[in-house]
Parts: sequence; structure tokens; C-alpha cells
Amino acid sequence: MQIYLPIAELSVNLFFLVGIGGAVGFLSGLFGVGGGFLLTPLLIFSGVPAPVAVASVTGQVVAASTSGALSHYRRGGIDLHLAMYLILSGILGAFGGVATFSVLRAAGQLDLVIAVGFVVLLGFVGILMLQEAVRALLKSRQGVVVRERLPNQHSWIHGLPWRVRFKKSRLYISVLPVLAIGLFIGFVGSLLGIGGGFVMVPALVYLLRVPGNVVIGTSLAQVVAMMAATTIMHAVQSQSVDILLAFCLMVGGTAGAQFGAAAGQHLRGEQLRGLLALLVLAVAIRFGLSLVLAPDDVFSMAVTSVVR
Amino acid sequence: MSRLLALLLIVLFSAVPAGAAARLVSGVSNDTIQITSSFDGERLTFFGTIAPEAGSGQRYVEGPFDVVIVVLGPTQDRVAREKTHNFGIWLNTEQVEFKRFPSYFHVLSSRRLLEIADINLLNQNFILPEAHAMVPNIAGFMKTLVFGRELIRLMSEQGLFGVQENGVRFHSDTFYSAQLTLPSSAPPGPYIAQTYVFQNGEIIARKSEGFAVRKIAFERFLAQSATQYPLLYGIACVILALFTGWLGGVLFRR
Repeated sequence: MQIYLPIAELSVNLFFLVGIGGAVGFLSGLFGVGGGFLLTPLLIFSGVPAPVAVASVTGQVVAASTSGALSHYRRGGIDLHLAMYLILSGILGAFGGVATFSVLRAAGQLDLVIAVGFVVLLGFVGILMLQEAVRALLKSRQGVVVRERLPNQHSWIHGLPWRVRFKKSRLYISVLPVLAIGLFIGFVGSLLGIGGGFVMVPALVYLLRVPGNVVIGTSLAQVVAMMAATTIMHAVQSQSVDILLAFCLMVGGTAGAQFGAAAGQHLRGEQLRGLLALLVLAVAIRFGLSLVLAPDDVFSMAVTSVVR
Repeated sequence: MSRLLALLLIVLFSAVPAGAAARLVSGVSNDTIQITSSFDGERLTFFGTIAPEAGSGQRYVEGPFDVVIVVLGPTQDRVAREKTHNFGIWLNTEQVEFKRFPSYFHVLSSRRLLEIADINLLNQNFILPEAHAMVPNIAGFMKTLVFGRELIRLMSEQGLFGVQENGVRFHSDTFYSAQLTLPSSAPPGPYIAQTYVFQNGEIIARKSEGFAVRKIAFERFLAQSATQYPLLYGIACVILALFTGWLGGVLFRR
């Protein structure tokens, strides 16, 4: 059944949209990530114009993260104070990202920057996650108890000024790294159409030493608020949010996420992280190949303005 | 004043040659094509008959005739870009912008175009696709030529440009019909169908019809909201997302 997308101005199979929404939702439920880093590329590779794909997936990420954020909130798994700092700096970063998005789109370099961004970001994070997961798997197989670094171990980050006390996270740290993380994720997330949960969680754990019981919830709350703001900014700035496209993805995504979360309980943490790392790397490699290999067609076209 | 005179002279001397006074009576099956949520392209039928000029006293017209129908979509500014290999990666380095380029262009004809008329006459009337790219461009002649040809190729691959040299069928000496399937990627806006009647390589009659491709109902509402009230539209998207996410959590909570 074909459905006409009014902003993308093309007709796509409805079951295909709900299907990839569901498949990505399943994976996002399984791994506890938003899934934007999979959906945006899938849409671009299936013919949706890159600006529409990025802007619409931003809306889908809001939906995908909402139910998770709510259930963490009920369980008290969100450090609202910390989330507030991350959200404010994230929205500031998103402003920069959306403005850069428009400039790049006009210059014809948006696709390039999206591809390079995915390769660098996903490649880097994917390799780190894979290393960590493989090390943990090997150790657990040898029967060695993995000794996590203690949350109160100090690093250079704890020597920075403007320290603030985050009660729920039991942290007394400088706001500078917190704001920097928010700013970076806001910028990259709005530019690439990803929530950035898979960058946020490791950053909170390894850089700030946020305890495990509030990491996921705080990250999700930040993703919801920041992506909501980004959706509105994309709608105003580039008018490329396709609400129908986003809705089809949301329906598939929210349903798929529930099954994914259930399936995730049968797998161990290290195995999950290893699989996620492979997935992230696969996407990075796919984008890398599209940059390095000779394209099928060196010519491309784009509409710069509509004259009616 | 002299320009006006020149124009008058052109009009007088380019008037249809005597003996070939004909007019075209034509129509198109749809005057609006409505884009609904299930829009998947639409088929159009053009038809017409060639009749003697009104008041000429002729009883019938003598063929054979050739008919060419040019369907033009709304114009857009479009760029063609070329990727080159730099520092190990492929990136867009050169681009040429084509102002007011047709978003849709299809030619239907009863015979091979170059057999119907001289290439210059076809180009003057923008009947060949290349004519649309070969308008003066600040990029310079050679670049316009190369990028224009590539742009037309890309448009053709997407089904937005095309030439069907057997698209017009004559059912009698003077009555013809032609069918065109407008793809779902055809952009909304005003369309013009220009019909030319050729005889012995000259245009002896022409007529243009307009039709519109329009989003209707819900699709129209969404597209208009997105451009006219972008802030409200964005907020609506967010509320929809929050609600869907919340509902998903409630429905599936075990």
C-alpha cells in the first residue's frame, strides 16, 4: 500500500516505513538506544531526501525515547538537575547544528558532512565499545571478576572550576564538562538526525562517573527534550519535517521497542554491548564505503528553490 | 517604436502559409490531478482534431499532419553537481545552477521529432529537452553544455523528463489522441500542455491547455501548515511524538 508523503513529495510503501520503524525500534529497545543512527541512513539509502530524513527522524527519536524516559522517571532514575544542564547546553548546540545544516544544504555539502560525521562518530564509538565488550567477554570467560573503575576515582575533569553538586548522581563536579557534552551532542545530533544516546551514555559514565542507576534515565530525558527542540527548529528553519513519515516510523518504532526490550532480557550486558558495537561499526563502514568507492554516478541534482 | 514595427513585421510574415489554414480543437482528460494519501501517479489523455480555419470557407483540411504535445511542469531553480575524487574521498566540487528549470517535461509526438521538423525550429519552441538547459547561464557555455546534458539525463532517469516519439496516435487523418502517465514524483503546481500541429516541417496550428497537480484534503493541509505556520507545525509534531511514545508505553506495559 503506497502512501504519499506531503513534505518529501514522493510516495512510499506504508508497510516498508512501519517495517523499518519496527525493526529499528526492536534494536533500539534491545540495546537501549534511540535508533536514529540506523533510521536516518536507512531512509537516505531508500530514496528519501537527506534533509527530510534527518528532520523527520528527529521527531521519531522523541517518540522512541519518551516511553523509556517516563518509566525511568517513575522509578526515580533521572537526575533532573544534571539533565537540566545537559538540556540547556544541548538546545544551544542544536541551534548551531540546525543553522549549519541549512548552510551546508545550500552549499551542496550536506550529504558529505552527514557521511563523514557518521563515519567519524560511529567509527570511533563503535571501536571503543567493541574493545570494551570483547575485553569484558574474555575476562568473564576466564572466570576473572571484572573490577569496574570506582565512580569516585578522580581524573583531570574533577579539577575544573565552577563545581556544582548533583545530589541524585552523588557528584560534585565542574559544570564545564557537562555543558561541553550537552553542546557537542546537541550540535552533532541535530546535524546528523540522531539522538546521541550512544555517545551520551559512555560520556556520562566514563567522563563524569555518573552512577549506573541514573545514567540511562538522564540520557533519555536529555534526548527527549533536546530532540523535541530540534524538531521545532528544523520545522521552522528548513521546513523539512514530514509529519506523516515521522508518524509511520513512530508507530513501528514504539511497538518494536517493546519487543526489543523483552528480548534484551535474555542476553547478557557484554553480549548486548558487543552486538551494538558491531551494528554501529557496520553503519560507519557503509558510510565510509560510500565516500571512498567511486560513485555509480558522479553527477547529482538538487532543487534550490521552488518558483510557483 | 522600431522594435514594435519589427515585431509587427515578424507577426505578419510568419503567419500561416496560405493553403494550410488549420486550427486545432483539443482537450485534456483531467484539469486537476489530485494528490491524496494514496497518490501513485495518474494517467492523462490528450485528444484533438485538426479542423479548417474558422471563416476560411474550407470544408476539410488535407493531411498528413504531425502532432507534438509538450507537457511542462512548474519551474524550479535546480543545480547539477559533479563529484570528483579528492584526498581519497568523493565530494561535490563543481555545480551549475539552472534558474527556472522545468520540474517536469515530456514530449509526445506522432513521429520522430527530427523527421517532423528542423532542429532549429524545435529548439526555438523548446520542444527538445536540451533547449531548456541551453539558456544563457553565468557558468559559461561549455559548463552549461556538460552539466545541462547531465541534468537532463538525471531528470530522465527519475521519469521527470522524457520523449515518446510514438506517443501520439492518429485514429483518422485529423483525429489524434495521446496518453501520458504522470509519476507520483511529479511535483505539484500548474502544468501546461502545448500542442503543435506540423505540416511539411512548419507549425500550422498550436494550442495550449493548462491543468493543475494539487495536494488536496489532508495532504494539502499538512503541506500548507508546514510552510505557513512552521512553529505550530513543529510543536504539533512534538506533541504527536510525545503522545505516541507515551501511548506505546501504556499499551505495552506488562
